[in-house]
Amino acid sequence: MTASLNTPVQEPVKAVSRVELAFTRLKKIPSAYIAFWVVCLICLLAILSALGVPLSPYSFDQATDDLLVAPSLNHIMGTDELGRDLFARVIYGSRLSIAIGFVTAGVAFILGTTYGAISGYCGGKVDTLLMRGVDIAYSLPDLLVMILVGVLVGKGTFGILFALGLVSWMGTARLVRAQLLQLKEEEFIEAARAAGQDGFSIVMKHLLPNAMGPIIVALTFTVPSAILSESTLSFIGLGLSAPECSWGTLASDGWRSLRSYPHLLGFPSLFIFLTVLSFNCLGDGLRDVLDPRTRLFKG
Amino acid sequence: MLQAITRPSSTLKHSKSSRIQPANLAEVNTRSVRNFSITSRFSEIVVSKLALAAAFGAVLLASLSGCGNTGASYEPDTFRINLQAEPPSLDWQTSTDSTSFDVVSNIMTGLTMYNNDMKCEPGCAESWEILDGGKHYLFHLRKNALWTDGKPVTAHDFEYAWKRLLDPATAASYAFFLYDIENAFEFNSGKVKDPNLIGVKALDDWTFSVKLKRPAAYFLYLTAFCSTCPLRKDIVDKFGDRWTEPQNIVTNGPFSVTLWKHEYKIELTSNPKFFEGEPRLKKIKMFMIPEQATAFGLFENNQLDYVDNRSFPTADVESLRNSPMYRNLPLLRCSYLGFNVKKKPFDDKRVRKAISMAVDRTLFPKILRRGEAPAFTWIPPALEGYSENSKSEFNPEAARKLLAEAGYPNGKGFPSTKILYPQREDAKLVVESVQEQIKKNLNVKLQLEVNEWKVYLDILHRDPPQMFRQTWGADYPDPETFMNVFTTHNGNNYTQWSNAHYDDLIDRAAAEQDQKKRAAMYAEGDQMLCQDEVPIVPLYWATQNTMVKPWVKGIGFNAMDLQFFRKVYIEKP
Amino acid sequence: MLALLIKRMLTAIPVLLVVATLTFFLMRLVPGGPFDADKNLPPAIVANLNAKYQLDKPVAQQYVTYLSRVVRGDLGISYKYLNRTVRDILGEAMPVSLQLGFTALVLAILIGVPLGTIAAVNRGSWIDVTAMFLSTAGISVPGFVIGAFLIFIFGVWLKVLPVALWETPWHMVLPSLTLAFSPAAYLARLTRASVLEVLEKDWVRTARSKGLSRWATVIKHTLRNALVPVVTVLGPLTAILITGSFVVEYLYAIPGMGRFFVTAVTNRDYDLIMGTTLVFAALLIVTNAIVDVAYQILDPRMKVEG
Repeated sequence: MTASLNTPVQEPVKAVSRVELAFTRLKKIPSAYIAFWVVCLICLLAILSALGVPLSPYSFDQATDDLLVAPSLNHIMGTDELGRDLFARVIYGSRLSIAIGFVTAGVAFILGTTYGAISGYCGGKVDTLLMRGVDIAYSLPDLLVMILVGVLVGKGTFGILFALGLVSWMGTARLVRAQLLQLKEEEFIEAARAAGQDGFSIVMKHLLPNAMGPIIVALTFTVPSAILSESTLSFIGLGLSAPECSWGTLASDGWRSLRSYPHLLGFPSLFIFLTVLSFNCLGDGLRDVLDPRTRLFKG
Repeated sequence: MLQAITRPSSTLKHSKSSRIQPANLAEVNTRSVRNFSITSRFSEIVVSKLALAAAFGAVLLASLSGCGNTGASYEPDTFRINLQAEPPSLDWQTSTDSTSFDVVSNIMTGLTMYNNDMKCEPGCAESWEILDGGKHYLFHLRKNALWTDGKPVTAHDFEYAWKRLLDPATAASYAFFLYDIENAFEFNSGKVKDPNLIGVKALDDWTFSVKLKRPAAYFLYLTAFCSTCPLRKDIVDKFGDRWTEPQNIVTNGPFSVTLWKHEYKIELTSNPKFFEGEPRLKKIKMFMIPEQATAFGLFENNQLDYVDNRSFPTADVESLRNSPMYRNLPLLRCSYLGFNVKKKPFDDKRVRKAISMAVDRTLFPKILRRGEAPAFTWIPPALEGYSENSKSEFNPEAARKLLAEAGYPNGKGFPSTKILYPQREDAKLVVESVQEQIKKNLNVKLQLEVNEWKVYLDILHRDPPQMFRQTWGADYPDPETFMNVFTTHNGNNYTQWSNAHYDDLIDRAAAEQDQKKRAAMYAEGDQMLCQDEVPIVPLYWATQNTMVKPWVKGIGFNAMDLQFFRKVYIEKP
Repeated sequence: MLALLIKRMLTAIPVLLVVATLTFFLMRLVPGGPFDADKNLPPAIVANLNAKYQLDKPVAQQYVTYLSRVVRGDLGISYKYLNRTVRDILGEAMPVSLQLGFTALVLAILIGVPLGTIAAVNRGSWIDVTAMFLSTAGISVPGFVIGAFLIFIFGVWLKVLPVALWETPWHMVLPSLTLAFSPAAYLARLTRASVLEVLEKDWVRTARSKGLSRWATVIKHTLRNALVPVVTVLGPLTAILITGSFVVEYLYAIPGMGRFFVTAVTNRDYDLIMGTTLVFAALLIVTNAIVDVAYQILDPRMKVEG
């Protein structure tokens, strides 16, 4: 197994089989396998609601006669201060929460991988310099960056997405760099270099594909942490324009009603919890599956 | 409990000796990678250690609850409240916020004092004369008003204070309170350099003269306001910027600051030299607990004696409404929707009026749940000038007609319109409700745009959008403070609405000495705002919700939400 | 080792300078100023304020003035808390945050590391599954929700612990627990992974074949090596915990400095923003340097580059 992973991946056929292999292995870890399907289900929910498919049997509109109704058969999750059905809101909120998770992970992936790859491949002075850059990026006040991005890029959904990505790429960069520093000492890289391949293609064809396991794992952890950050962000007071909502805004809006109307906090939190839990379990599973160092399936 | 404590002691011994036990060695020698028998035994040890820790913790917790926080229900002669935030400054000349004023109101006394009906009572001034048709005020100071260091409060302290308030170098935000005084504005804006040209003068130690550039019917109220309290030149000169720290500050009110733990609490102690006599309350502890739910938890655990809106989660208000400790009273603070009348489509007053008539204000109290009162006028019912005739009405039918007349039949062709609002719980609920109502009643879809507080203010100051949600709280209990907002040159008139007749009316009303005529003038102005020109849509009046423990006596409430505790005392119920 | 520390401290200077510069211009780009208030002020008064705080000068000049003051150790004044300097504010808030952050850190290590180790040793058993479920759950709940529940259960309902405030050591229990919750869960997961990895190493097997019990092996040989990645995260973790968490301080009304990371920005309290950012950056650099030294102690083979 170690050998197969150390061989540079070039033919697409082989890559597919690797995905298949990983999936077969994933099936053997029940928690990760269940988590995988829960994630799929939630994503499906988000996509359908983004496409405007009416998933909720209840009206999304404000009903002034039904303010703050407790969960019942008419409203299985109750209603909010404006009489809107919470189930409808939670379903509607899924698309934003999931989008936030994925876009943030995507931005973190692109920025972090590029940055980390340059740093790790070049090494030496460049590496030192770039890593101090990461220190700097860590130190800048997130809130300031986010407000500014909100103002420059435009408020609302896109601004939040972009801003969250912008403050969460540093972890990925560090990880990719560490992976590359380690990998580039391997023999097959020496071989590729001797064969006359330039730096760019070595990184793209040999180094990154081999570092992909840990990167993917890290990304599955970025998704839930972005969903959590967004909820904390709404709590601090930097959120989405109404009537847009995400699970984060729903939870932080309902937070102060914990005693009198627990459903307002409970249901959105439950969805956040389930999603984040599933992503984390999936991440754990993928780490075992993709990391060549864990000999899970030995013997 | 006994069992829990004795059992782990044996397991502890076990764990220490386990390494040299032959049985263990034998088992290890089998080289099985996963030796469950051993590991499970070890985990059993660990688990029982945890049990020990838990038992230990429980004992500690039990002892804590006995000796700790929930013992006495009240502290004798001590009043504990929540300020919610650190007062930005106790310098009553530079502070501008209600938190600072909550402290200053209890440690300082100006020329006059408010009573709870919001009328001016004698403060440092025993009496006053209004001369020259309302343009000249002569205050006669009492001789028994003392500073905490024993020196008498003199007219010179007022003269110094007011001149410092207006000094550009002080850069006091509320200097404009005194702009009605001769040369005050000119001095503050640097056009006049000589402070002696300002119309304030200590004629002798006990007589303070103030000359206005025009009569101002509300002027007396300003002398009760924190910003105009006297100040000691020698103290400010001696300590510089640090004169407000407890060890330096010298005050003249019923209480004095004895402890200030920044971002945590302020302690006030009764002042035996206060001219009305030392208050019965010996100590006021003012905590700074930012979260409402936390503060309310402390109130329930008898660690706070009094809570208000700052310490109340909205959701819990309803369930507490029947409690004998609960009180609710209207405030002089209005939430409104403003239109930028320079921007389409609100340059047409028919459109503005249509929106106003399509909003059902009676919904807001139900949604906001803090006992708010729907606002149909700009002048609150408690003030002079309020009139039923000025009320705007809810009439979707007429609203649709007006909208059609303006060229948008059934909302067709209505330009894309945004409502700007700040990131606040109540603002969000209100604009969401307005959005839904306008959609339902006029078939117009408004967009909402949230902004972080300072960004929101920045947009309002520079380029107000078509619609925005703002609030206005009274500076003094007079309609002037409300009506002046929408005059042409007022910095808070974000609507860009400008009407020469209205400006003239408000200017004349300010100087009018006949209360009846004055009220009629304000009523006319209010009608322009709410029925004819409609630059704004008043939405609701805020209220103060309070809970007071039964042992707190003598507490009063007022519509300006100013907190005076000099008459409060603690008595066993 | 000392040379390494000194080298790291020297590289800290340009890093801090860049952080200061970026933050300075970033914050001036953000709309809204310190004196924008609910009630708009007359222009004459705004002019007076700007003159007093020298905000009427060109930004470049303000930047130079600021830097020259910082070099002399003057962090500036607060624009919101009018009679206080940034040094006063941070000087009062820092000890509180240190105390809270350090307690939370110790708590997180005391919970996280043993939990992760037990889980790893009992891999696949119900203990492992439970421990990992708990720790995954721990990083799946927003801090403000955990805090609210703890206050409600222990403070309001059971009345065994103080709801909030910062007086006796008992007042530290709930806040530090709330703050430690997610780091503990994170440490548990990390410890488990690295203990598992080390357990598979040949020399660990050798040690066991020599007759050491599994737990003795874990404690004597494994844990020391497995703690290397754990120590890595302790650096940033310490910085984050000590600068405090806004949410925890907010919930429990603790006068720490975590709140200033949020309130300084929302108030546009320029010098305070700079002060908190620089303190945080310095702390991050120092803890990272300490971690690198700790690395060498734990694993002398490791070569750390400056």
